[in-house]
Amino acid sequence: MNPSVSSLGPARIDLLDPFEVSRLGGLELVSEGVVEGFLAGLHRSPRRGFSVEFAEHRMYQPGDELRYVDWKILGRNDRLYVKQFEEETNLRAMIVSDISRSMAWTGAPDTRLTKLEYAQRLIAALALVLLRQRDATGLITFDDEVRSVTPARARLSHWRTLLRVLAALSPGKGTAAEPALRRVMDRLRRRGLVVFVSDLLLERETALRALQFLRHRGHQVIVFHLMDPGEVNLEGPAEARFEDPETRAAITLRPKDWADVYRDTVAGVVTEWYKACRKRGINYHRITTDTPFGVALRQALARPAGLA
Amino acid sequence: MVFPAVRYLVDTTREHQRRLKLQNWLLLLIRTLLVALVVTAAAGPTSPIRSAAGHSPAALVLILDNSLSSGAVVNGTSRLATFRTAAREILDRATSEDHLWLMLADGVLRGGDPAALKLLVDSAAPAFTRLDLGHALSQGQEVLTTQALPGELVLVTDLQRTAVTEAEIRFPLLIIRPEDDPSGNLGVSGIEAGPQPWSLGGGRAIVSVVGDSNLSLPLTVRLGDRPPRQALASAGAAVPVILSSAVSGWWPVQAELDPDELLADNIRTGVVRIAPVARVSWDSTERFVAAACEVLERNGRISRGNEVTIGPVAPGLTVVEPPQDPAQLGAINRALAARGVGWQYGTLNAAAGTTDSNALISRERVARRYTLETVESGRTGVIATVGGAPWIVRAGDVVLLGSRIDPEWTGLPISAGFVPFMDALLNRIARGELTVSGGNPDEPIALPDLVTAVRQGARQWVVEGGAPFRPGDIGIYFLLAGRDTIGALAVNFDPRESLLARAADGSVRDLWRGASFASPSGGPRQAFSLGVRTDLRGPALWMVLLLGLAEVALASARRKSS
Repeated sequence: MNPSVSSLGPARIDLLDPFEVSRLGGLELVSEGVVEGFLAGLHRSPRRGFSVEFAEHRMYQPGDELRYVDWKILGRNDRLYVKQFEEETNLRAMIVSDISRSMAWTGAPDTRLTKLEYAQRLIAALALVLLRQRDATGLITFDDEVRSVTPARARLSHWRTLLRVLAALSPGKGTAAEPALRRVMDRLRRRGLVVFVSDLLLERETALRALQFLRHRGHQVIVFHLMDPGEVNLEGPAEARFEDPETRAAITLRPKDWADVYRDTVAGVVTEWYKACRKRGINYHRITTDTPFGVALRQALARPAGLA
Repeated sequence: MVFPAVRYLVDTTREHQRRLKLQNWLLLLIRTLLVALVVTAAAGPTSPIRSAAGHSPAALVLILDNSLSSGAVVNGTSRLATFRTAAREILDRATSEDHLWLMLADGVLRGGDPAALKLLVDSAAPAFTRLDLGHALSQGQEVLTTQALPGELVLVTDLQRTAVTEAEIRFPLLIIRPEDDPSGNLGVSGIEAGPQPWSLGGGRAIVSVVGDSNLSLPLTVRLGDRPPRQALASAGAAVPVILSSAVSGWWPVQAELDPDELLADNIRTGVVRIAPVARVSWDSTERFVAAACEVLERNGRISRGNEVTIGPVAPGLTVVEPPQDPAQLGAINRALAARGVGWQYGTLNAAAGTTDSNALISRERVARRYTLETVESGRTGVIATVGGAPWIVRAGDVVLLGSRIDPEWTGLPISAGFVPFMDALLNRIARGELTVSGGNPDEPIALPDLVTAVRQGARQWVVEGGAPFRPGDIGIYFLLAGRDTIGALAVNFDPRESLLARAADGSVRDLWRGASFASPSGGPRQAFSLGVRTDLRGPALWMVLLLGLAEVALASARRKSS
């Protein structure tokens, strides 16, 4: 454990303001701190895979580890049985992150992380949790096309690789989720977990179609809908020209006049995403960039449907 | 400023604009309705009360269409029986405070209490008259106009298409009509006996059949008590029938179809006059007269004899031509006066003219003619005119021609109608026999000038010549001039009654605005409720208030959102 993080004492770093936490150190340090805090706050393992609960016996097969042989049965019956435990097989998780230009935006540069910076830290923490469970974890980044593919590995040292990829991320161009999700399908042949991190400023139907296809293949899918608080509540000068960084579409209006109906529209969009995901068996979480990382991790990992 | 969620902003403004537009439309609609309702309320609208068990006193005209077509039998029940039941139910609902009138197919409005009118309803039988429904409604409205009570018209009818005529409806009108289709029907619509009198050898009648059925029915035609002739007839057919001879006199001709669902129109009666052909004496030097008479003689339409003389004034029946030499005019006029003829020749008129067409003669050129002057008051016996002036007249047993039968005087001798004209002149006009005519019951028929009385069987009516006669029943009526029978009327039902096809409700509603329709089973319950109306001003004002509140709410919401 890094001394600087340990020196935080009993403070739960995972529950601090993300911007403040990010100022404590680099990506690695912050992520470890977040995960330590997060795990310390759990009363029990968040996943059954951590447990070593006995599940059943089966006949010994050549190649089985001898430490799982039930010697008592051998003594009684002279037969070789091995114990089986829940979650013997490791999970294969693939984190799919949107790095489009819209992600590199924050409504308050002095006090809030950009959505991409927030995503980097959240993904790093999540990956560390998964790798500590010996779950193979990979990363795919995309903007208007797939930018990087880091295959899933179960070794803990793989986390460093992921950190390097995350640290090297730079904002891309437009957003097209479908190719990235199709690449995930190619990569995840066994049923696994797909974590989709994006601000969802993309073609909803296309993205949903791809996510649904993942569900049909048996994958568990979690969607983190990252939003900046400035995107939830419209603020600005008396009259402003708002320009989309990706499409360059622009609109000029008085934010004060439109704040209420805009908030309703955003709420409607979130509701539509939630309903559409729920209908397809996808876990959907809207997370604003001022949400502590621990809360975001808990949302994803505390639910049985999340990583089970 | 850069803002990734511009798409949400675009959606917001678009959605908001749509909502604003919708709100604007709603506001416009509400305000329009408000204005319309205020105007309507100011006009004092009323609405009929349709379900009143008891009812306010009302003036009601009940028109029971018992015209000939009501005798049709549909599904084993006559239409009239159904109508009578409905009419009785309506009268049963009447109270002593209601003012009631009943009109049958005779078009007479009869006022009375419910009991008296029910007796009339019960005794109503299919009439031979046609009821013009538009006219009947107009008559009914005339009575209602004089009433202080709310008025209402109830028409119980088979709603024959041919009976529906235009009328301006000013009172609530309930039409009770059967909902099932009428049965197909054939009826005899006419008997055309052709030129008369028929000779003793007989003649040819053409029987017309009308109807809205594709069926063909056997047709039997009888001349008096002579053996009948038969043919097969269908709707629209004109069936020629040769009828064998009989002795001289007036003979009925009866055409009868085999029975169908409406019996009353299956029989039609006509009348023919049978007489020996005229025995004519003519001057063979009169080229055109002689030629025509020889043709008629060869065809058996006249024979040579002294019954009718054509030329100078002679004893007996005479057709007098004016003289070629004007110097002889005085002698002719004196001879006419000596015979007691009330007409004489006047001055020669060389101005060209044209005959006024009538049943005897079509339009012919007249180059020269003598004026025909009456020496008595009145102008009876005119048979043909030129420009309104007498050209052929008959007085007593003399017929005076205004022009000579010569192409230099008139184009008649060289026209196609000349020989038929001579046939009619010699056989009918000179002998004083008139055209047999026809008509419908209760409809006025113009009588010839000479007629002094009309006789049917044992009944006889004294009439004034030229006045209209209104026969009350179907049958044959003989026209009398003194003791002589000079013509006959064959009175039959109106052939339009044979067309049972019903008028569509929509077309009737177009013609009679505001009419409502009901079946004979449910219709009587709606009577006495159309004329009684409830005031709609209260509900209209409540609606105005509600719409006003809605307008205020919507307008403030719109102001807030914009």
